[in-house]
Amino acid sequence: MESLYGLLGGFSALANPETLLYMIGGFLIGTLFGAVPGLTSVLAIALLLPLTYSLDVTTALVACASIFMAGMCSGSITATTINIPGAPSSMMTALEGYPMQQRGEGAKALGHAALGSMIGGSVGALLLMVMSPLAADIALLIRTPGKFSLIAFALVVIIISQRGSITKGMIATLLGVMVATIGIDVVQPVARFTFGSSVLVQGIDMMPLIIGTFAISELLIQADSRSARTVDPSKLQAARVRRRDFIPPLSEVREIGILRYLKSALIGYSVGILPGAGGSMAAFVSYAESMRSSKHPERYGKGNPEGIASSECANNSMCGGAFVPMLTFGIPGDPTTAIVLGVLVINGLQPGPQFMTQQLDLIAPMFASLFVSALILVPLTLYLLGPYFLKIVSIRRDVLYSSIAVVALVGSYVATYSTFQMALALVFGVLAYFLRKQKYPTVCLLLGFVLGPSLEEYCRRALSINDGSPMVFLTSLDSLFFIVLTAVFFYFMVIRKPRENALNATSG
Amino acid sequence: MSSKRLSLDGGFYVPAVLAIITLVYLVSAMQIGTPMKDGNMTPSFFPITAAVIMLIALVCAIVQEIRRARSIDTEKTGEAPGSEEGEKEGKNVAGISLGAICVALLTAGYLLAFDLIGYFVSTFLYVLLLMFQFGSFSVKSLPMKLIATFIVTGAGFLLFEVFFQVRLPTLWG
Repeated sequence: MESLYGLLGGFSALANPETLLYMIGGFLIGTLFGAVPGLTSVLAIALLLPLTYSLDVTTALVACASIFMAGMCSGSITATTINIPGAPSSMMTALEGYPMQQRGEGAKALGHAALGSMIGGSVGALLLMVMSPLAADIALLIRTPGKFSLIAFALVVIIISQRGSITKGMIATLLGVMVATIGIDVVQPVARFTFGSSVLVQGIDMMPLIIGTFAISELLIQADSRSARTVDPSKLQAARVRRRDFIPPLSEVREIGILRYLKSALIGYSVGILPGAGGSMAAFVSYAESMRSSKHPERYGKGNPEGIASSECANNSMCGGAFVPMLTFGIPGDPTTAIVLGVLVINGLQPGPQFMTQQLDLIAPMFASLFVSALILVPLTLYLLGPYFLKIVSIRRDVLYSSIAVVALVGSYVATYSTFQMALALVFGVLAYFLRKQKYPTVCLLLGFVLGPSLEEYCRRALSINDGSPMVFLTSLDSLFFIVLTAVFFYFMVIRKPRENALNATSG
Repeated sequence: MSSKRLSLDGGFYVPAVLAIITLVYLVSAMQIGTPMKDGNMTPSFFPITAAVIMLIALVCAIVQEIRRARSIDTEKTGEAPGSEEGEKEGKNVAGISLGAICVALLTAGYLLAFDLIGYFVSTFLYVLLLMFQFGSFSVKSLPMKLIATFIVTGAGFLLFEVFFQVRLPTLWG
């Protein structure tokens, strides 16, 4: 009952004009960054991170949640209208949305996408509110060896979910782990890899790594492009939409069915809980399941609203699921929740099993922001700004990227008032540029950096309380559970799946 | 015996450079002390383990890349000279885009100037040069770029110094 009051208190916190303004502002920024090809909501939240030094933690979390939700649904705008997904999670939407656009039903496709996002996002946020206290109770049962195995499980899943580039995923993750070891040791007061430099003794801050990996590397990548605008204006002429066409017909919504919406939301939420999975996998799994269970699978790929509804519903519901492991175990499964963890750490907060009960007043407004963003801001933004979306996303690249550069670099300066952080951001940016050019997943770099110190700490603590015997990881039931779970995931994702693909290829 | 060199690119050089960095890291980790003491892990155990696994993964990546380069070279044998795809790509130096080098150098220069000449002058120059890098370079567009540069620099100042009350360095601070 107490937690219910706490959660409801989160909604009343949104009544504060300043908090409300940050939520709406965050949503609009997230919409812009999600819709513009090349920009992502992760970049938007990364740019927000330095500003959280001057912001109240609740306000910062509210803004992060609305950016996350907006970024997830706005990728469908360019996916539908010009067949360029604004975000990777909207790739499945492009498959159905663009054929509808070619039939002159682009506005209706956007309406279906918004409705799916609205239902999925709201269900995901509600499930987060309901399930988080339960997950926190379960987290209390996990002891030190189990915590090590859980983090190892998360890292292994993050690596093996990099389809087709597991070696690269592993290298990027280990690189993040290695960077995190710079500074004072996690257990003993011993300096490591400081090379005599006093500034390295306190270790590498998360902020220059995030700014470098997501903002500076993007500038370097975009430096190759010669186009003057983010979206070619000539493509926009044929893609005019009217406000009244956004409302999807009730007959089509009935045909999609409430069960399909709910099933897609549940799929998205469950995928969100898994480390490293993210919105694109949620959308893909949900789309595939929707096609499998559809009465008319032959309509898929030709502009079917069912496909749009299922993929958009799942990728927005994923937002709620992604927060569960971060808040209850302190384990972020994707870059957005890793940055939100950074916001908490900057403010001296450490998520864990007790976090939900002890700091509910700080977290509840973030849950409320996720819910309100999905339920109200998604349809409202589409209705009010829909006809202008395409003009908004066609921005002059010179203005856009020089603005991003200033916010990213000066933002890095904020933490310590020294250019050392800015220099570190540049170094990580150059490193991430080379990694991205060679298709190394930089998300793994960030998650390795975040999870590495906890992995080491729990491993060493577990061994020291058990006289250095590694058998403790097998004799402790919670640890054994996660080891078996890791083996199961490894089997299905690395051994069985490629074998099935090979068999299908031979029979095909 | 063929003396033909493999046409290796970033796919080979990135893991190769990372392998060198990892070797330096491994040597430094070993200098911290023995990995185990009285049956317990020491501060060097985890970095040594991470470095060894990293080296194995990097060797795998390098071997994969050499195999890929060999197969590409074999496929290319017999093709007419000048038909290489690389020529279609934008300007680059040693496989690195000239635009990216330019932005990285501009940013490094900005970091040096930021403390020395303050936010306004350094940011104005940096943004103006980035405007040319990310847009077109023409005298006709100069007034528009100057106005945009002034707005971006001013907006940055408003955001950080006024709105978030961050004390930015000044020319005569």
